[in-house]
Amino acid sequence: MRERPSGEELLIIARKVLREELLPLLPAERRYDALMVANAMAIAARQIAFGDAPERREWQDLSDLLGETVQDDGATAASDALGDLYRRLGAKIRSGEADPGTPSHDAVRAFLLDVTVQKLRESAPKILDGAGMEP
Amino acid sequence: MVVELDRTARERLQGFIARAAGAKSCAITALRRLRGGAIQENWYLDTEITGGAFAGSLEAVVRTDAASRIDESLKRAQEFILLKAALAAGVTVPEVLWLCRDPSVLGREFFVMRRVAGAAAGHRLVKDERLRQRSEALVEQLGKELARIHTITSSADGFDFLSLPEPSPALYWIDRFRQYLDHLAIPHPVLEWGLRWLERNAPTEAEIVLCHHDFRTGNYMVDESGLTGILDWEFAGWSDFHEDIGWFCARCWRFGVHDREAGGIGARETFYRAYEKASGRRIDPGAVSYWEVMAHVRWAVIALQQAQRHLSGDEPSLEPALTSHLVPGLELEILQLTGKEN
Repeated sequence: MRERPSGEELLIIARKVLREELLPLLPAERRYDALMVANAMAIAARQIAFGDAPERREWQDLSDLLGETVQDDGATAASDALGDLYRRLGAKIRSGEADPGTPSHDAVRAFLLDVTVQKLRESAPKILDGAGMEP
Repeated sequence: MVVELDRTARERLQGFIARAAGAKSCAITALRRLRGGAIQENWYLDTEITGGAFAGSLEAVVRTDAASRIDESLKRAQEFILLKAALAAGVTVPEVLWLCRDPSVLGREFFVMRRVAGAAAGHRLVKDERLRQRSEALVEQLGKELARIHTITSSADGFDFLSLPEPSPALYWIDRFRQYLDHLAIPHPVLEWGLRWLERNAPTEAEIVLCHHDFRTGNYMVDESGLTGILDWEFAGWSDFHEDIGWFCARCWRFGVHDREAGGIGARETFYRAYEKASGRRIDPGAVSYWEVMAHVRWAVIALQQAQRHLSGDEPSLEPALTSHLVPGLELEILQLTGKEN
């Protein structure tokens, strides 16, 4: 078993030190760099907090959308399986198979919106606030 | 990141300027790298020139390629020609002075231009209270400037480095972006979704002009007197004039001030009116909306290209590394902008 605090907890406290204690000591022209570091730490902490559950869910949803059976043995990384499925979805969209009026149009759009919202929860949750969406 | 030039490079730069200016000598009094410019490096340069037509103090910027650059961007020699043509067309741009194509001076091509006063940083400009009081005048001025840019025609030096977008500006970009996405390790189905929408809705006709292709808040300088210079010409090329208008007004370039649709600065109507009056053209609002969707796709592709500089190991650096995390926000916008058709 790993020791606590976890990687996520360490990132959160380290970021707090950076923002509250170190940032005020920096010359103005280096503030931006420190804010970028803080942002990178926040993204990493949020990704750790979500774990691989979002990608496993994407894997399931995308398999359903493409008419595939998921062979989730619990060990295969979802990100490996997703690459191939995503490429197929991209090809389907590009060839017009998800255009308005096609049977899969609404489901594809709903899926794309779901995965984009999840990416924003990790990369830039403030954008969801601004768009009036649940962060 | 190189933040200083070594002594011999400084001496070579002084020698180059003295020769180019027809001067007896040139002494650098200040030289430092300016922040920003992911693709180009800009160096702040003060010199004292002795003798010749430029005798006296010269406040300048040296512009050269960064260590790694984006394929689409123009070379410095080409940007130099465009800036001269822009100046001749009456566009407010920094005056370009000398081009150096000899790599033995700084290791890369560069040019020297006069430094213009003011600030460019987009996120600060949109929040500047003093600027807010005269933001409509600034937007009007920007509309006029863009109209002037769109009058630039091939100069005596020739724009043969710029090719016409075939079969049309929109379809040209769609093809380019798809080719780029096909090379990435991570697929981007939302960008595919946007590109398919752009393909289905592509305009059938376009009036082709010289587009700046990065005309937006953040790429022009402003001081107390107003606009002092339109910068960053490295993406300029022939296209539908609506493309520059869409890029300027796109939500992703309003720096969070979304109710000011003209670049986060002022009213879209003011910008359109000034552009139409100065150019004599009619803006088709539908065409601008189309190019705003394209703007989000294009910015997402550029962001991915910048992230690639870090991911490839060529230039491990935090700023490009974070750029790919801007993409989901652009993707949300693309889904919302293209979602109105059923």
